[in-house]
Parts: sequence; C-alpha cells; structure tokens
Amino acid sequence: MNLTKDKTGVMTTARKGWNPRLVVFACNWCSYAGADTAGVSRIQHQPHFRMIRVMCSGRIQPGFVLRAFEKGADGVLVSGCHFGDCHYVFGNEKAVEQFEKTKSVVKMLGLEEGRLRLEWISAAEGARFAQVIDEFIEQLRELGPSPLSRARSGDEAAGALTPEAEEVEARV
Amino acid sequence: MTGCEGEPGDFTISVRKHPRYVREDLCVACGLCVDACPQVGGNEFDQGLKARKAIYRPFPQSVPATYVIDREACLNDQILYCQHCMDACDVNAIDFDMLPEDVELRVGSVIVAVGFQEFDARKLGNYGYGRFPNVVTSLELERMLNASGVTQGHVIRPSDGKTPRRIVFVQCVGARGEGGRPYCSRFCCMNAVKDSMLLRQHDPDVEEVTVLYTDMRAFGKGFDDFVKRSLEEQSANYLRGRPAKIEEVAGGNLEVFVEDTLGHEQRRVPADLVVLSVAAAPNDAAPKLAETLGIETDRYGFMARLDPAISAVETSRDGVYVCGSAVGPQVIPDCVAQASAAAARAQLYLTGERVEQTEARAEPMDLSGPPRVGVLVCHCGVNIGGVLDVDALAAEAGSLPGVVAAKTHLFACSTAGQEEMVELVREHDLNRVVVAACTPRTHEPVFREGLAQIGFNPYLLEMVNIRDQCSWVHAREPDAAQEKARALIRMGVARSRHLEPLQESKAPMTRSALVVGGGIAGIQAATDLAVQGFPVTLVEKQGRLGGRLAAPHLKYLYPNMRLAAEVLEEKLDRLRRSGARVLLKTEVADVRGFVGSFEADLAGPVPETLPVGAIILAIGADLHDPQGEFGYGELTNVITSDELERVFCESESEAPIKGERPSSASFILCVGSREAEGSCTGCSRYCCPTAIKQAMLLVRRGIDATIFYRDIRTVSGGAEEMYREARGMGVLFVRVPPDRKPEVVGDGRAEAIRCHDELLNRTVEVPTDLVVLSVGMRPRQPDTKRLHEMLKASVGLDGFFLERHPELAPVETAVEGVLLAGTAQGPKDIVDSVAQASAAAAKASVFLAHDEVTLDPAVAHVEQERCRACGECVEICQFHAPALVATADGGYAAEINASLCKGCGTCASWCPSGAITCRHFTDRQITAQIDAFFAEEAAS
Repeated sequence: MNLTKDKTGVMTTARKGWNPRLVVFACNWCSYAGADTAGVSRIQHQPHFRMIRVMCSGRIQPGFVLRAFEKGADGVLVSGCHFGDCHYVFGNEKAVEQFEKTKSVVKMLGLEEGRLRLEWISAAEGARFAQVIDEFIEQLRELGPSPLSRARSGDEAAGALTPEAEEVEARV
Repeated sequence: MTGCEGEPGDFTISVRKHPRYVREDLCVACGLCVDACPQVGGNEFDQGLKARKAIYRPFPQSVPATYVIDREACLNDQILYCQHCMDACDVNAIDFDMLPEDVELRVGSVIVAVGFQEFDARKLGNYGYGRFPNVVTSLELERMLNASGVTQGHVIRPSDGKTPRRIVFVQCVGARGEGGRPYCSRFCCMNAVKDSMLLRQHDPDVEEVTVLYTDMRAFGKGFDDFVKRSLEEQSANYLRGRPAKIEEVAGGNLEVFVEDTLGHEQRRVPADLVVLSVAAAPNDAAPKLAETLGIETDRYGFMARLDPAISAVETSRDGVYVCGSAVGPQVIPDCVAQASAAAARAQLYLTGERVEQTEARAEPMDLSGPPRVGVLVCHCGVNIGGVLDVDALAAEAGSLPGVVAAKTHLFACSTAGQEEMVELVREHDLNRVVVAACTPRTHEPVFREGLAQIGFNPYLLEMVNIRDQCSWVHAREPDAAQEKARALIRMGVARSRHLEPLQESKAPMTRSALVVGGGIAGIQAATDLAVQGFPVTLVEKQGRLGGRLAAPHLKYLYPNMRLAAEVLEEKLDRLRRSGARVLLKTEVADVRGFVGSFEADLAGPVPETLPVGAIILAIGADLHDPQGEFGYGELTNVITSDELERVFCESESEAPIKGERPSSASFILCVGSREAEGSCTGCSRYCCPTAIKQAMLLVRRGIDATIFYRDIRTVSGGAEEMYREARGMGVLFVRVPPDRKPEVVGDGRAEAIRCHDELLNRTVEVPTDLVVLSVGMRPRQPDTKRLHEMLKASVGLDGFFLERHPELAPVETAVEGVLLAGTAQGPKDIVDSVAQASAAAAKASVFLAHDEVTLDPAVAHVEQERCRACGECVEICQFHAPALVATADGGYAAEINASLCKGCGTCASWCPSGAITCRHFTDRQITAQIDAFFAEEAAS
C-alpha cells in the first residue's frame, strides 16, 4: 500500500466535515483525573474521542489497542502518569514497554505511526489534557480515516491490506 | 437550641422543634400538595427571585425531603378551610394542629457551625441596592448562575428579563472598612473571578465584565493560577477602585462612578447589571445562641475562639467547639479542614462510645442470571441537562442489549435520586446498574454505598462520565457532545454486562500513627491523636520541636503580637501531657506496606522499625532562597524576612540590625511568590501580614518603614485590622506593578529602592538603610521528594504534596492512610496549619478507630491451571504481591496476595499465558467497551 499517495488522495475529501474516531485509554489516577480537571475548569476541547478508564496505563496490552483499530478507530491514545509519578511506582514504565510492542504490530498492519500516541498527563494538567486531545484530533484529520476502517467500509481509495497486515489482523 | 446544661461529656441540650405542619413519617415527597396550593410567595433560598407556594420544600436537596407549610402565607389561616393541600395529600400527612415540640438531647460535646449571613447592602445607600432593580448581590447572581436556580443558569436583568451585556462587580461591599466592618471577607475576590468566567462561558451575549477591586486576594492554593487564567481568557477587566456611587440612567441601565486608581482617572462605567460582592456578616442569631451555649462572640458578633493559634476550634466553654464561617469569613477548603478539626476535638468526650458503623447491611441480593441492566441518566441540574438531551439518552439506553429499564433524574446523587435507583433495582429485578452522571472518581462511592445498603453488590455498578468529561468540556458543540454521551453510555452498558460481583475482605489495622515532622502542625496532629488514646510516634529530624514557631525563627505572632514562645510552650505542654512518643534527630528512612499495616524504618539515635496504621506528613516548608535577587548576597544590608525575625528573637529593642542602626527600612513582598512562570506562581499567604507586623515593630523602634507590594493580602483573622493600624502608625505602602519589580539601588550597600509607584503613576526612589525581602514558601526538599517516592503520595505542579481534593478531601492524599498537615500541603500561617493538623488527626482516627481495614477486591487473580510459572509477574510487581507457590500436582504457579495487590493490572497485561485476571478491569470488560464504541456503525 502506498501510504503517501493514499493519504493525500483521501485527505481532500476526508478532511471536510470528517471527524476521526479516537479511543483514549487513561489511567485513573493521573490522566483520567486530568480529564476531569479539564471538566472542572471547563476547558473546552474537541469531542471526537471516547475514554476508557483503567487503573494504570500498565494495564494496556497490545491487544486492546489493536482491537480498537480493528473495530474502526482512526487513532488510539494511551495516557498515564508522568515518570516518577505513577500511583503504582513503575506501571507507566511497563506501559512504555507494552507500547513499543504495540507500535511494531501497528506498523505491520500498515497503519501510520501517527495514529498511535503515548502521553503523560497528570491530575493537575487539565489544560494539557485538552491540548493533547485537540492536537491529536487535528493530526488524525490530517491523516484521514484509518486504512483499516476504510478497508472494512469498502472504501476503494483505501486499497487492500498488506499480506502481513492481513495476517496480523487475523491474529488479533 | 434553647438550653445547654451540664459538663463536657454529659451535656443536656434543649431544642425547640418548630412545627412543619407536615408529618415527616407520612410524607412521601410526591409534591401533589404543592400543585394544589393556590398561594404563591417569594422563595427564600433563591433570594426571593423565584416563587414558591405556601407549602414547599426549602430547597431541592433538603433533608428530610418533607414539605413544610409557611403559616404566615397559608390561606387556611386567612380564608377559612382552604385546605387544598389536605385534599391533595394521598397519605394524610398534613396536620394543621401540629404543635412546637421540646426535645432534650444528651450529648458529650457540641459543635457550632451556624455559618454567616450576607451583609445587608441596603445599609450602603450610595450603591442603590433595593432602589435600583438591576443592582443585585453576589448571592442573587449565584442563584441565577446555578443550574438548578432561578433562571437555570441564565443571567437576566431583574428589571426587564433581558440578558445584560455589560456587568460590573463591586468588591468589598460591607468589608474592609465599609459599613463598620474592617475585616476582609476572604472569598469574594475568587468568587467574582469565578463568576466572570462562568458568565463569559455561559452567555455569548455578555460582552464585558468589569471587576472593581482594591486588592486581588487570591491567597489560597491554586488561586493565583485561576486569576491568571481569567486574565489570559480576558473573562473580566480588572479595574482597581472603589465606587463612590451608582446611579440609574435610562432604561434601567446604571452608571458606576469610580476612580480608576491605576488608570488615574475618574470614570463612569456603564453597566446593564451591577453585582455587589457582599461581605460575610455574623449570623443575627449568633449572639443569642452564644449566650445559650455560654460562649463568647467577638467584637463583630462572630463566635469567638479561645485562641486560634492554640486550637482552631476551642471556645471559652470546654466541650463546645466552633468551625466554619461561624467564626468569621472562610473559603471552603479551610471550612472543611476546620470542621474535621472540630470533629476531632468533639471526639474527646465521646471516647469509649465511639460510633461503629451503625447501619446494618442488608442481606446480599441474588444477582445471578443473565444481565438485567438498569440505566439512570442524571441531569445534574443544567450541568448535564443544559447541554445534552438527557431524555433522548435515556430513551436510547433503554433499547441497548441487556437493558430492561432506563430513567432520568434531576440529581441522581441526591437522596431522591438514590431512592429512584433503588426503586429501579427492585422494580425491574436489576442485576447491573449504570449511572450516567459525573465522574466515578468522586461519585462512584456514593452510588456504591446506596446500592450496598440494599444488599446489591456494589461492583455491579458502572458509572458513565457524561458531565466532567462531556457536557462541561463540549458545551459549545452540543450535537457532538450528545453523540459522545450516547457512545459512552453504550460502552458503559456493554461493560456492565460483563461485570462480576466482588466481595470485600478485611485486613488487620495497626491502631497507631506516625507523625512526620515536629513543627506546629506535627505537634498538633500528634497531640490530637494521642489524647484520644491512640499510640502516636512523632519523629523530628532536628534536635528540638517547634519548627518555625521556635526561636530564632519567630518572636511575635501577628495580628496581636503574642510571643511565639508562649504559644509553643503551651503546645508542647499539651503534647507532653497527651502521652505521644517523641523521637528527635530521627528521620524516616523507608516506608513499606499500606493503610493499616505500614512499616516505617526510623533512622535516629536508636534505629527501629515501627508498625503503624496511618501516617501524617507534617514536614513543613522551606523558605525561598533569594540569592542574586534584589542584591541579596551582594549588598550587605539586604536581608530576608526570616533574618529580620532572628534579629527580633536575639535582641531587645535598641540592638543593631546587621551591625547597623538603620533609620529607614524597605520591605519587598512576593520574593519567590506569585512569579509569572515556573513552579512559584502561587501566593505564600503568610508574607503580607508578616511584613506588616515586622514593619510595625520597626516603627516602634523609631525606624521608618515602607512596604512595596502588589496586593495586600491580609485575609487571616485580625490581619486586616492590623494593616489599618500599621497605616495609622505611618508605615508607608507603595504599590508596584507585577511586571516591573522594584530595583534595589546601591553599590556594596543598598541605598534606595527605585520603582514605579502605581498609585502615583511615576517612578519613585525611596532612600533606605535596610531592605527586607519577604520570601515565599517552598516545598521542603529533599524530604518532600523522598517521602513522595516512598509513599507515592502525589505532588502538585507547585511541588507541594497534593491533597486528594481541595474541598472534599483537603487533608487526604490519593494514598489511603497517608494524610497531610500544615505547610507540607502548601503555604499557610500558624492558625491555618493548626486547623489543618487537627483535621488530619481526625481523618487518621477514622482509620484507627477500627480493628480492621477493608480491602478492595478489585485486584489481580491467577487462574493457576493456566499459569506456566514463568515468574514474569513476580519480577514486574513493585508491591511484591505475586509469588510462586507449590501446587497440589507438584508443580508451581503464581499466587497473588490480595492485601499487597493494588489492582493496577500491569501483571494481567504482562502475563504471557493469560492466566492473570485483573478484577473489575478484565480483558472481556475492556474489550466490550472498545467494541461498543463502534457498535452503532457496525449495526447500521
């Protein structure tokens, strides 16, 4: 699949009035709390994401992220506490290791790296949470719909999955 | 309350209960009587802005939810036999013959929390309140801005119902000198800032908000950052000046005559609506109540405390305690801390009769069988309902797989809402409940408790956050917000179908506490716990107790120049008598464990390992080191406020200061506080009154004193009066702009302060022999960092320990059993530190009062048949919860110690064979949520 061509080809139609679907996995103690802080401070941000709360970002195994992409997500954000701030000491460092694994599989699926993000947001950083969401959603608008979701919805422009990608998708 | 006889520990309280003419035991709060009542009057709760009937509920969340008849207004007393309400009532709860009832209560102690009432702005005729309809009070505005209030959050002009475009706030109405009240009302500055932001967000028609202020008193934790945001978002113009008068012009519009003291011009500010930020005044009924209780009131009529530096809550009568705004204006976090402090003191006379968990839990309900989900969608007034179509959400939820009932409620967390939830469970045999409301982080416990009371397993509840993370943050895009709420509910319902009932277990509680830090806060916390009979160990790394209260740090306390040594001596005496164990020159080297069974390694003259159930962090704060700022370190006569305090401690009145006998001194405030950037953006709270106190002491020595300030923040009790006294004594105050700091002029020695005087609007140069830098507070290092690493108690952006919630849990941390006292949590003065320390002690005693601690069952679990005993989980867990154990078939498998497991779920995501389940966050539950996000599109 030729990503660049594909990307530009789809972008012009996709960006107009198109909203990406972003799944956010957030830890209870920092990032989910940070999103609440944004709420308490009424910091407005883009609505095109859905939050899944877990206790620790270390809980996020590659399967969850891949499942989200498989089902039609255009982007996935994994978010936890800053280093040294993890409620469970090193859960976020484990999250990084998991994330690296996830990234390599996402690559194999033929998805752009820019669809997957790992961010550290503390309970106090409501404004930062809003900013990360806004930036990421803009970035996903640039990228356009995920090739996986386009493939599933029969979008011709999307082209087919690479053979490796098909194999991986079958596994997840 | 009509009488209070007896002794502490055994009071007899007489109470006269006025008749409500509706029987509490019969009324079902259906509201039919209200519909039937023909008589309409002003609703007191809504400041008379909204109507109520003669039979009414005082406010929507009143407890009990029983109606009451206003006999003054009731037609039954005016036109014979109106009795519409009696006819309407299906349960015959109306009883016009009800008589006042005298009740006697036997109690051990009394807490007075009668609050304040607002200053009557009619007393200030020049503001026109009461004459001009469009001059309203801050409380009236609050009722309009309130989602469940008069206008459902829309602000209107009382004269014509139009949305005001230009709104002017007048600060300090009835405070700081007007109307005979010299004190500062503490909360009004932040309230006006908050309202300006709400107004601008809520109503696009509001074009301009102007706040007329004198000093911006953003003294609390995070307050300055909030003001900064208001400035960045331009929610209001801040104009420094106190209006001379307000006049009405054509069409109900107003003109505010004010001198802009920074813009240096007389102005007439046009306004469609003027909001008077009215001060807190003592409750009218306070003097009579005080007399009944045999306690004193202060010169204004607030409840008097014996000595706030000694105890935040003690009155002149033992066993009677006061808290909150009954003692003077307060902000909510301070009220909450004081209230806990009062509870701690009140417990002293309840020892031996400590209230165990009283309510008998119902038998567990049988919740087996396929999921039968009930959904309750909350309006939260207009917090949710103002943005989202709640009825549509409920209607759609009703059609989701597994859902058998879906309803809405105005306030799901209210007693009525909880009852509705319980009713829903019973009526539809539910075995799953989904509440779509606010954040589970604050309200999951509330709904879990409501369900637990009827024996419904609380882990079968799922909360969907459609307020904090939806209606509040996507208010400008209601359609997209609705879409998001629909998806979130879909996801929550999907998850709920896979929830499993979990049983809480118990672990032993070591009924003793460790207090870290022997300053005023640590002393207070240790004393409070020890007098209740709990074993307490107080560790202090220095060789003496007292922290900053002890010489050579502090000689006199503001506002009344009490000797710090006297206060400390009394505190130490109380500590000694309490029986607390004190270890000096001792530090905490390491801490392991969790609430109920912490183990602390103490490094001191005699090292030991101490088992404790709870830990109070009272490590205090450092002072900012101003090296290189304002010539400190280079110019010989530039010193810090702390160094000046040492001079007071060490010498009598005529002694030299730094070897000199200065004839003039200059104080520079906010050194290392309220910085534009970085971690020191907050106010240090103690410096303004301290500088004024020090300036007054210098003036008494014949030294001229000038204070260079940005805002004078004399908010603590008596401090504003001291500020006035200082001005009367001739202390000079020069206001400088925040972005142009004063400059110290001199070579080798400071000779003058050069700055822009904002009030004179020109550069001035004030000759000086001495420069005193009022240095701010900093988190104490390396102690804060070390304890943070050991205990995992969070630290905020300012570097101080972070409270779990500023209003709901001001002394708790996110780590259960670890509490905060004093300046470890943020800058405070002695009175506030003492109050907070007592609050921390009260919270610790909640844990220590029980033999056991309840363990969260939402932890990891190993399915041993699938475990290959690879040991990965044992390796990665920081809490040493998993261990490899021998199995019955001679092999090995991992096992998780539930009391060590914190439920992070990292091992579950790590386990290569999928043998570990993270309860309450299982693979299946999370996957169901992911799938449900996209389920709609898949179906269509």
